[in-house]
Amino acid sequence: MSDHFSGPRALADPAADLIDMFAFPAPGNPKNLVVVMDAFGKAGPSAVFSDAVIYRFRFRRARIAATGPDAAFAVDADEVAFDFTFDVPKGNEVAHPRQRAHYRTPGGETVSFDTNDERGGSSRDVRVFAGQRSEPFFLDVHTILETAETRQLAFKKTGSDTLYGTNVLAIVLEFEWAKLLGGGPMFAVVCETLRAGPRPVRIERLGRPEIKNVSMSFKMFDLVNRDLEIRDLYNSEDAFALMPDYVGAYRARLNANLSFWDSLDGKIDWPVDESGNHPLTSLLLADFLVVDVSRPFHETSYFEIEQAMLAGRPHATAGGRWLNEDVMDSIFTLYINGGNGPRINDGIDAPIVWSSKVFPYLAPPNPPKVTAR
Amino acid sequence: MIAAAYAAPAARASDTTEAVLTHGTIALRNLDAQIEGLEPDATLRSARVEERARLIDLLALRGSILGSISDYERAQELAHLLVRDAAADAAAFLARARTRALFHRFGDALDDLDVAERLAAEAEILNRERAAVFQGLGRYDEAYAIRVEDARRCPTFESLGALSTLCAESGDAERALRLQAESLRRYRGVSPLPLAVLDFQIGVMWMHYGELDRARHHLSAARLYVPAYAPAQGHLAEVEAELGNAESAIALLKPLAMTSDDPDYAAQVARILADAGSAEDSGYWRNLAATRYDELVALHPEAFADHAADFWLGAGADPKKALRLARMNFAIRKTPRAYALLSRAVAANDGANAW
Repeated sequence: MSDHFSGPRALADPAADLIDMFAFPAPGNPKNLVVVMDAFGKAGPSAVFSDAVIYRFRFRRARIAATGPDAAFAVDADEVAFDFTFDVPKGNEVAHPRQRAHYRTPGGETVSFDTNDERGGSSRDVRVFAGQRSEPFFLDVHTILETAETRQLAFKKTGSDTLYGTNVLAIVLEFEWAKLLGGGPMFAVVCETLRAGPRPVRIERLGRPEIKNVSMSFKMFDLVNRDLEIRDLYNSEDAFALMPDYVGAYRARLNANLSFWDSLDGKIDWPVDESGNHPLTSLLLADFLVVDVSRPFHETSYFEIEQAMLAGRPHATAGGRWLNEDVMDSIFTLYINGGNGPRINDGIDAPIVWSSKVFPYLAPPNPPKVTAR
Repeated sequence: MIAAAYAAPAARASDTTEAVLTHGTIALRNLDAQIEGLEPDATLRSARVEERARLIDLLALRGSILGSISDYERAQELAHLLVRDAAADAAAFLARARTRALFHRFGDALDDLDVAERLAAEAEILNRERAAVFQGLGRYDEAYAIRVEDARRCPTFESLGALSTLCAESGDAERALRLQAESLRRYRGVSPLPLAVLDFQIGVMWMHYGELDRARHHLSAARLYVPAYAPAQGHLAEVEAELGNAESAIALLKPLAMTSDDPDYAAQVARILADAGSAEDSGYWRNLAATRYDELVALHPEAFADHAADFWLGAGADPKKALRLARMNFAIRKTPRAYALLSRAVAANDGANAW
């Protein structure tokens, strides 16, 4: 799953478990940037945000530092952060309870609003929503695992959506980027959960989809650290400043797993260098979404900026990631044939309901499924 | 009562002196929400074994926090179905072993772990599961050897907490406290549930030592983390009763006795009221507990023999029944507590001939 249950530690605190992030120019209003953070996969109706967790978006100005095989972003050291916190619910509602939410703007202003209210909250230049919504992500986990186990593509013409009809806790933030971020037009963004307190401790962080699961979780291809559950360590890192001590371990895992994916169509589209480095490893380790708000919104824009950088051509879209993109097909096509072949289809082409192009974008939560007994 | 030592899933480590934790009501809400989210696919053969096993563990966790036998029963049922559907998957047998241990079916649990081993379960996981079963059986030396090695090799909140709990149960109070402090120091999560479970275990240890003020301190701490922590509330009531605070004890127990499917709370209310001379009121709760103990002993004899024996020795006033159950319990597990229970039952049945 995109980042669902991404590591043993996350299992203890479902409300702190980040599962997805999206970033896109507001459809029809390119002055606004929208970011979405999803937590708590397969959340039942009573799910609420933790009162001990800071839910944070971090933005940094970015630019293209190099293109071609050594493609890389340069990211500023300065950043702008938006923090969301939540109170203990006061009411007794069992399903989708109202919870008082607070967000702190980069200017230090704190604004409060209620969760699960589609009108959300707003202050000057900012609009926010928090609450339970329909899971926008879709994939077939069984066939991914089968592919890894058999080392052969196991996707079916019609797959089974592992997340069909499930819900998540979502935070949606929309704001006028020129006023609040300054500079631009290219920004790098990550989201994080942190244990609140005098010295907040990072619990999880998330940038690109499927780094920790599809790209990192399989241990058997990694001859350097075959026994290492690497994801908790990776989660605890600062996305903009990985600790040099551990980069080698992340790199080894990604090199191994990306080469596995590349091998599945019987040809090598991503030849590794003399040190065994896969051409995508460095770009993926820059584990943040990059969005260029000067370019138009596009429904399938994930990794478009990066692919253009690798090819040495200008990018055409805003990049980032839109809610309705079939990002698993995009990722598999990227990893398996590098775009040099037909688009790979994992057999799942839609969620239970599409997100809309109107705030708060994600569809309302699905009714609880009937328990199979 | 079913094994209360269920090891809650936990986060890793650090300095808890300034830890901010999720409010206990949110933690329980979200535990419910996790279960609600996974239940619809709980019996689908197409569902992932990992998720089905996780649901089983979450139900067992909720059962241990709310004192909910129906949660344990659902976990057991789902584990049985999981093994049926995934007989070649070690994770299914590990999950069933855990539920069998909850119901004190320790031999069956060890059999499941043997199957899991043949299906190539990870050695570390198997060792931890075996340690839990050995602890339940009172085979403390074997459990200790595994726990010490685990904590030495990988000193985390979980491994040190498990060792602390073992020391508490086997009578090494000083070491248990030291390990608890060490374990807490390494906690980095925000869930209050693992911390509540640790304090509960230490509180129960002090109860067994008769250190009632210390027991009260730790049991109260467990309830501060999670106000709805039923076994902590029940044991705190027991402490209050021992300290002569019958009214406080009754106030803590009655809400549990009226809502829980575990008869221990009704049994305690009956005993305290009887001690206070309220025979009529006591009779009501006694009958309630008696009926439920009979049901549960019929369904899960291994799990409820000890508490039922305790009940029939006290408020239940049927020492012969108590002796039969105490013998059954001692045959299953040779713990100091099982021996003490059998001794009391023998004494209540007039001595040596009863052995």
